[in-house]
Amino acid sequence: MTAAGQTAAGVALRITDVGMRFGGLWALSDVSFDVEHGSVLGLIGPNGSGKTTLMNVVSGVYKPTTGSVTYDGRRIADVPTHAVCHLGIARTFQVVKPFASLTVRENVAVGAMYGRYGGKRSTRASFERAQELLEFVGLARVAERAASDLTIPDRKRLEVAKALALDPDVLLLDEVMAGLNATEVEEALELLRDVNRRGVTLIVVEHLMKAIVSISTTIVVLAEGRKIAQGAPADVLASPQVIEAYLGSRWVKRQEQLRIIAAEREEAARMHPPEAGA
Amino acid sequence: MMTTAVLRRIGLGGITGSPIAIAVALALMVVLLAVPLGHNGYLEIVFRNILMYAAMAYGWNLIGGYTGYVSFGQVAFFGAGAYCSAVLSAHGIDNLFADVALACVVNALFAVVVGLPVLRLKGHYFAIATLGIGLALSDIVANLDALGASSGLAVHHVDEAHFYVYYYAMWLVALATILGTYFIARSKLGFAFVAIRENEEAAAVLGIDATRYKITAWAISAMMAGAAGAVFAPANGFLDPSIAFSIDSNVFPIVMAILGGVGTVAGPFIGALILAGANELLQRYFIKIHTLFFGAMIVIVVLILPRGLVWLFGLKGGARTWLKSLTAFKA
Repeated sequence: MTAAGQTAAGVALRITDVGMRFGGLWALSDVSFDVEHGSVLGLIGPNGSGKTTLMNVVSGVYKPTTGSVTYDGRRIADVPTHAVCHLGIARTFQVVKPFASLTVRENVAVGAMYGRYGGKRSTRASFERAQELLEFVGLARVAERAASDLTIPDRKRLEVAKALALDPDVLLLDEVMAGLNATEVEEALELLRDVNRRGVTLIVVEHLMKAIVSISTTIVVLAEGRKIAQGAPADVLASPQVIEAYLGSRWVKRQEQLRIIAAEREEAARMHPPEAGA
Repeated sequence: MMTTAVLRRIGLGGITGSPIAIAVALALMVVLLAVPLGHNGYLEIVFRNILMYAAMAYGWNLIGGYTGYVSFGQVAFFGAGAYCSAVLSAHGIDNLFADVALACVVNALFAVVVGLPVLRLKGHYFAIATLGIGLALSDIVANLDALGASSGLAVHHVDEAHFYVYYYAMWLVALATILGTYFIARSKLGFAFVAIRENEEAAAVLGIDATRYKITAWAISAMMAGAAGAVFAPANGFLDPSIAFSIDSNVFPIVMAILGGVGTVAGPFIGALILAGANELLQRYFIKIHTLFFGAMIVIVVLILPRGLVWLFGLKGGARTWLKSLTAFKA
């Protein structure tokens, strides 16, 4: 009991000096941070900064060249890819990978069958669990359809449902909101908050700044494979280093221009007050 | 766009394929029980061969159809099963149950040992490697004096009056492969196989140990082919490498499964009935050019019915939908 209580409040994932080399390119170097149980960690960075590589390292798809990722004290690199979900870590893919010839319900049921508690579930129980999750993510209406028939937002939902079917403690979400419109993003955020409320720790990779700021408790920023900032969303986004690296010098310049325009307008308004024109 | 629209209306029939097709296949199996009653030795052999090819087609369907690993090595397992019977017969054991049991055990072990390296390969590489297994085993047997080398050996043979025993044994083997496929497809195992076929990486992330389940599929498929071989050897009464590892036994089951419907429960049996039946008739009436008709038939069927005959059973709107799908495929 006490042990469970301690871990519930403590560190779930510990990423220590992770480096990942592909040939001559270091896609990640010296990345270290902790993820607290029950938190939502936003992982951001420009294209090619190593976000997806880090996701692959954490989910055990890649073995890191240096450093290690531990989950509740266990090194993820020591377990085979298919056993990572049995530790309690699940992920979605940036490029969604549904089993195209299976129905939506069957897709989710496969996760329930072979995930963390899959060994204890019968085929029937797996299908029941799949149905629950489809209702939870809002896909019950298309449960009988082939997964290849789904629209993009529904495919993203299916990815989340498949990952949830593994009964994870930690869920890695790789750009589940990319390609969604504003309403769909709102719905997706609501869904993720719901998942987090159920006690699932989330690591969210996303390009949409508004979405990531609104959901994350902590943000980690990667640039060119290195961690350049970590902290509360507002602090991280205010950091000049992040603005430079992530938003680019053009954004800084545009902010400057906007400030000048605003100042000019104010100046003009002062010179020609509205009452004078009336 | 058109294609997906049509396919959507047709439906996939789920992991077992159309239930109507399964009912039809089982009904036809019941009808086949009556074949020996006609006391026509020729017909009995024709249909026994159909059942034999069907059992092998189910074996191929499990690894090639459900798991997506297209094997050209199933004949190795058929031959191994046949030689199991021959060895038992040489030791004076004349019992079909023992034959089938030994063939299943030997083939399962053989499949695991060969599968560990070979199932690491994918696509063409896997196909070529499996093709090599059959050829290699054939050559090995042809050089083993204990197995009669290339001149072959006689296998025990019940007297002519009880010849139907082999027919019913083969019928039981075929039925076991159909029912086995049905129950495997609906079980957790079936979903693991299909998940591996659709996307091995995604399957692994969902907790599926791909190596383990690929080897399971391969071992069960080897047992199916081996059981057919174990009954074939005594039924045929004689065995040599060219019979046990014939190219027909390798290619027919694959074509049958594809014709009937890959990754379905009824497909291989329906494919076996039609293909072997057509082959028999063509041989009878066009002996000199029957392979030409045979080849042309396969090409046409694959072109106009790429998903197999069982697919037709699942059609909503019948032939009209199918004709529409033809034009859609062209577009």
